[in-house]
Amino acid sequence: MPTRFIVDVYVYRVTPHHHGLVNMSSTSQKHKDFVAEPMGEKKVTALAGIGDALGKRLEDKGFDKAYVVLGQFLVLKKDEELFRDWLKDTCSANSKQQGDCYGCLREWCDSFL
Amino acid sequence: MSTLSNKSDQEISALLDEYGIKHGPIVDSTRSLYEKKIQQAMGNKGKAKPSSDKTYYREEEEEVTYLSYRSPSMSEGYGDREQYSHSGQEYAQRNLQDENPYLRSRSEVYRSPDVVDKHYDTPLTYSTASYSNATPVKCSVPVPEEKSHRLIPLWVQFLVFLIVAVFLYFVICNMESTHSEPFKQVK
Repeated sequence: MPTRFIVDVYVYRVTPHHHGLVNMSSTSQKHKDFVAEPMGEKKVTALAGIGDALGKRLEDKGFDKAYVVLGQFLVLKKDEELFRDWLKDTCSANSKQQGDCYGCLREWCDSFL
Repeated sequence: MSTLSNKSDQEISALLDEYGIKHGPIVDSTRSLYEKKIQQAMGNKGKAKPSSDKTYYREEEEEVTYLSYRSPSMSEGYGDREQYSHSGQEYAQRNLQDENPYLRSRSEVYRSPDVVDKHYDTPLTYSTASYSNATPVKCSVPVPEEKSHRLIPLWVQFLVFLIVAVFLYFVICNMESTHSEPFKQVK
């Protein structure tokens, strides 16, 4: 029916275009789960970018919970470069893992801190 | 030179500031990271004084990027003003300040080659340099990117709108005719 077609076209035109907001690219499910709620006592492996291997290395250095890594993130004044360097030095995270972890913590802080 | 681990927290902090490394508090967990950063910075700069070298380089870099940024975006409008700026810098400065707050900090950098007072400008250029270090790269990006801002180009939107309008017109015409007939039939 012509009216329905018009409605479809109209809705298509009215729907806002994602101008600059689609910056979040593709965040993983882990990222979304982490930033959705307060971290509480979550393990360090709950952080995006931190898998079992990295998690083990962090735990050995004393960063056994996500909030301890959060503490380090905050002490580094939420600076991306410093945090990435620290992560690389502490658990040999690669660039992608560093970026995922940083993004995850930053977004968590934006929502809850 | 004594090893970095023997230095106090304040000394480490002072060294970081000297090398222009942005840092947070010197705590147990951050200390080793900052020591590494200082060592890297020392390796890069050699034994010469790091701060003045850095600011000079950054001034030059900023100046170059400043000019190259200005030329594509404000070619005609500023073509005349650039000639004025050498004679009447305050006029250009005021205009720059009105135009763009971002450029305001740049205009002060632009003055520095004429005003041979690097030591005075050092903290200013240094602070703008460190603050806008990433932005010289960034500033060129938003200018062209703003043009290709839309997912669907403008002319396509207009075309679709025209099609919708024409379609609506046809539908209304058809509706009118169907409505008019029943009235005739009732008669």
